[in-house]
Amino acid sequence: MSHDDTAAAARGAAAMPPARTIEVDGVATAYHDAGAGEPIVFIYGGNFGTPESASSAQVWNLNFVPLSRQFRVVAFDKLGQGYTGNPLRDEDYTMAAVVRHAAAFIAALKLPPVHLVGHSRGGFAAARVALDHPQLVRSLTIVNSGTLSPRVSTNEIVLTGPPHPPYTRESARWTYEGYCFNPRNVTDDWIEIVYDVLNQPKYRESVRKMVEEQAGARFFVPQLAKQKRETLQWMNEGRLQRPVQIIWGYNDRTASVEGAFDIFRMIGAHQRRTELHIFNQAGHFPYREHPERFNATLGRFVTLAQS
Amino acid sequence: MAQTKHETITVDGRATRLLRGGKRGAPVVLFLHGGTPGVSPYCGGAHLWGAGLDLFAAEREVIALDLPGSGGTALSGVPTVDGMGRHLLAVLDSLGLARCHLVGQDLGAMVALWAALERPAALLSLSVVASRMAAPMGDSLDTLALRDPPPPLWSRASQQWAFEQLSYSHLHIDDALLDASVAASDGAPHRAAVTAMGEDRTRGFAASLARTKARLWEICRGDGLMVPTQLVWSSHDPATRAEEGYALFAAIALRQTAAQFHLVNRAGSFPFREQAHEFHQIVAAFQDGCVAEATRKAPA
Repeated sequence: MSHDDTAAAARGAAAMPPARTIEVDGVATAYHDAGAGEPIVFIYGGNFGTPESASSAQVWNLNFVPLSRQFRVVAFDKLGQGYTGNPLRDEDYTMAAVVRHAAAFIAALKLPPVHLVGHSRGGFAAARVALDHPQLVRSLTIVNSGTLSPRVSTNEIVLTGPPHPPYTRESARWTYEGYCFNPRNVTDDWIEIVYDVLNQPKYRESVRKMVEEQAGARFFVPQLAKQKRETLQWMNEGRLQRPVQIIWGYNDRTASVEGAFDIFRMIGAHQRRTELHIFNQAGHFPYREHPERFNATLGRFVTLAQS
Repeated sequence: MAQTKHETITVDGRATRLLRGGKRGAPVVLFLHGGTPGVSPYCGGAHLWGAGLDLFAAEREVIALDLPGSGGTALSGVPTVDGMGRHLLAVLDSLGLARCHLVGQDLGAMVALWAALERPAALLSLSVVASRMAAPMGDSLDTLALRDPPPPLWSRASQQWAFEQLSYSHLHIDDALLDASVAASDGAPHRAAVTAMGEDRTRGFAASLARTKARLWEICRGDGLMVPTQLVWSSHDPATRAEEGYALFAAIALRQTAAQFHLVNRAGSFPFREQAHEFHQIVAAFQDGCVAEATRKAPA
């Protein structure tokens, strides 16, 4: 087996087109947009204010370009993350504000109902957009989302206290190696993007808000706990009324695969079009560790959901 | 409009029937049906795959085989997994198929796994579908679903009952399925299988199954199954729980990187009939993905 899967895939995949910017509820929002056809919108994981690692839309680079040959693909930076502006008010350092911003972004692009793909915390946001704004959504793909899972997430056990200073390539690499099945899939190009995001003044400001001013403990954590209770309850009631697929890396040390089965059962009890896909030798980022099979799974699902 | 037609070819001197069609020159998908010949209260054969084959035939060449002792394929001796496996390899040779995707359900999955152990280089990918037979069995409960078939066995009404017992919903059980199943029960292969299994009391078959599975576990723990393999199980299969398929996935996942596990919602033992579009989407995506991955990894 090759140990350089994603490195080779990265060489094969063309770079994502440069980001554009659109104003969404007063926040400059960065996004990548390519291709034509059924629209797929990607929502990545993580949240603002983590000094060890930072997500951005380019985490999808192994999927975005190949899928753009068949679909219109959009990957945007969430509120306070990547190259999108920070929340305008302290009390908007919440998942609820991230969800509102994501929905407003999709509405602002004036797309027909989209196929939402959400990873990790983005999986929760995507499910919540589908619940709150079903008119914006045609199908939902949830990827390794401990945030949406009713099980316990173990990120803190695996990833607390990196043995490297914050805002460094080394801390980011250590974090993503903890997430992935194969450390060699944490490629240099991935780390460079993370490093660039981490070192923007506006990103450091979000860390100051979340950590020093304790917006995390005051706003983000309690609000997410409330919204998660409500979201799980709504899913159990059958309010998620779109085709759903759950894709999960089998070897995720932070979000257990049992949670994928739980989500499948909760949604599948009400929604015929519910599917579960588990990928071997994949940790938290199956779309980076096995891009071809992930892209085929997503592409075929979207094609069926549109028909 | 069905895109496949019956053909009967002679393989190792044995009449062998298959359904064939789709895009010639495209990658070949070979389907192996379920049902143990002479034992299961329904008669297996290529007809079990139903109209779902047409979804594959739109993009691939499709071949659905009648296993020896089922449908129109003659049986020689007692049905065994090895015997069916050897016959399958002879069919591949006879058709000149160097490489193909295999899809097998129930017994067909076991035969497909036998082929994957024996000649891995011939398989582009393997999809193991709803197969209690292929899953680890350690101290599992007996399956009650097919305990008391209404007599006479293999009559239309009795086979209809068997399909209902194995399904999430009865709605997929149409005249085409029942007509073909009844025709299969009237065929010489089925009658030969009933006699052979009766005389042997299925001992030869059970021994071949045990042998193949012992070898499968040994390979899974050792060098690994050398074929990209996915498991496709159903949410409501009365014959095999998701947990059983997941245990098989875990065994294959020990060494095979390209291993996937899938659950199809609202289906029983025949997800390719009950949720034909979802089944096709899942299986075709795996095949596409495996080919794309192999292309990238191939030396330039």
